[in-house]
Amino acid sequence: MKSDFKKSWFTVFTFVRINTKRFFRDRTAIFFTILFPLIFLFVFGSINGGGGDVSFNVAVISDSQSSFSKEFIKTAQESKVLKVDQEVTSLEEAKQKMNRSELDATIVLPKEFGETATGKTYPSGELKVLYTQNNAQSGIALTAILEGQFKGINDKLVPSVTPFTVAGEQLNERSLSAFDYTFAGLLGFAIIGMGIFGPINVFPELKKMGILRRLSTTPLKVWQYFVSTMIGQAIIGLVSIAVMFAVAITVFHLEVVGNWGELIVFIVFSIIMILGIGLALGGWAKNERQVAPLANIIVFPMMFLSGTFFPRFLMPEWLQNISAFLPLTPVIDGVRLITTEGLHFIDILPQIGLIGAWTVVIYIIAFKVFRWE
Amino acid sequence: MAHMVEVKNLKKRYGDKQAVDGISFTVKKGEIFGILGPNGAGKTTTLEMMETLRPIDGGSVKIDGIDVAKNPQQIKYIIGVQPQTPAFQDKTRLTEVIEMFAAAYGEKVDVMQFLRDVDLEDKAKSYVENLSGGQKQRLSITTALVHGPKVFFLDEPTTGLDPQARRHLWDLIEKVREKGISVIMTTHYMDEAEILCDRIAVMDNGKIVAIDTPRNLIDQLLARGFKKKHLVQQASLEDVFIDLTGKGLRDGSE
Repeated sequence: MKSDFKKSWFTVFTFVRINTKRFFRDRTAIFFTILFPLIFLFVFGSINGGGGDVSFNVAVISDSQSSFSKEFIKTAQESKVLKVDQEVTSLEEAKQKMNRSELDATIVLPKEFGETATGKTYPSGELKVLYTQNNAQSGIALTAILEGQFKGINDKLVPSVTPFTVAGEQLNERSLSAFDYTFAGLLGFAIIGMGIFGPINVFPELKKMGILRRLSTTPLKVWQYFVSTMIGQAIIGLVSIAVMFAVAITVFHLEVVGNWGELIVFIVFSIIMILGIGLALGGWAKNERQVAPLANIIVFPMMFLSGTFFPRFLMPEWLQNISAFLPLTPVIDGVRLITTEGLHFIDILPQIGLIGAWTVVIYIIAFKVFRWE
Repeated sequence: MAHMVEVKNLKKRYGDKQAVDGISFTVKKGEIFGILGPNGAGKTTTLEMMETLRPIDGGSVKIDGIDVAKNPQQIKYIIGVQPQTPAFQDKTRLTEVIEMFAAAYGEKVDVMQFLRDVDLEDKAKSYVENLSGGQKQRLSITTALVHGPKVFFLDEPTTGLDPQARRHLWDLIEKVREKGISVIMTTHYMDEAEILCDRIAVMDNGKIVAIDTPRNLIDQLLARGFKKKHLVQQASLEDVFIDLTGKGLRDGSE
């Protein structure tokens, strides 16, 4: 029995070794799996500004004289997240500029903002973010970002309320940078590229040429073929993702605060789960014509709804609730939570559980529908 | 000694077409057995059922005493299969192709020896996409033998090859037989069947219409009073071709 076991894995690892070598000899494959996501990274990274900067052009209109408000305006002007247009002083001007899309939003501090209400020991107030219909997305995003920033501002202002400043606060603030969202989304995009578009292009081709058929006359089992593909894809995926991280860190000043070990393990399991979708589609399809429409139906909604190109928090809530259960969503969320918020596995159990559940479901389907020809 | 291959009343139906209609034959150890017939006669379907590639509708196939339908996984260890059009994944070196096929059987082999067997050792480090049609056929043959099978199936192995490559392949098939491996092949070429096969089965419409040695089949035809319309030639055009261009293999000339 033991030698049978050894033989089975010898088969798997020989396939992994040779197929991985083959990949690195193939310039087209390298381009699509490694350079293609990098191009997206540069495009989206530049749009969202590097180093966690989010280019929100805003005006700040303050009716308040409180020290809190002054401090807030100063912080806002220094902030990397906000580009404050200091020429704008009245709400009327701000509205005109917003209509011309020169401003993304206007932050309005009402008169009582930052005043200490009677009977309270700390200042309070509600700040308003005004935005036009055209700029609804940035408006919503900015609101979310400001909410995150407020904690930090509060801490600076009244340290006596929170005498122990926890490092976590800082991370929480960083997690809301647009680039962090973009980067996690692009990783998701890269994983889809490798895990789904890889097999659905390769398998029908292998079937057409009769290569899988020839393999099926050998004692090679489907699980051996799947596992060798999985390991190979995980290796190639890690290389591609390592390159993306290197670029994100050096060019776009991404700060990885999470544990690298956990990140790698998480990414490997994500690749394996998403690859299952590719194996199911490619393994089932007899030819390219069969697989293309089905792949599009599955991949494109998932790509957009899971936050690949724009963050999910920009979606209406009901849609967020649905898209939360798509296979790619926990991947993108998990990568972001580990990378930029420094969370550990224990904190992201919902994401891990969802990935685990999808892995089981997807591979049961993949094994059932696989055809050698 | 018992037969290496025993086919009994084998049947296969596709829709309303009876592709294989109750055929029976046996193949001895180290015998080259040819299945001949026009397109659509059921040759390939028969081979595919024996190779575990198609479910068997009726009847049985036993190879070395093992039932193909009941123990397909065991059968795979004792058969070697040469497909009609051999294809390999590109960007793979010849050595790696052999390594992978051996690994599929859980084995590690002397790769160069298997390349030498088919005169491909100087191509060892080439990628498969740079091989000519004949070289691909030879590589495919050697990959089908990496695990030391008892029965070797070839589906129209010489289709599309030039006369030199065909002759070379015949020699290879002879060498395979010399190792005691039973060879079962289909072909469209009568000269090939006559030169190579110990016995042939002629199939038509899913049935075997004749089964015997090539010599006996010819004698039987002559005994029925058959005469060729033309004078029997002492040489064929192919003999002329080989005489003019030699027997040497023309590898990589494509």
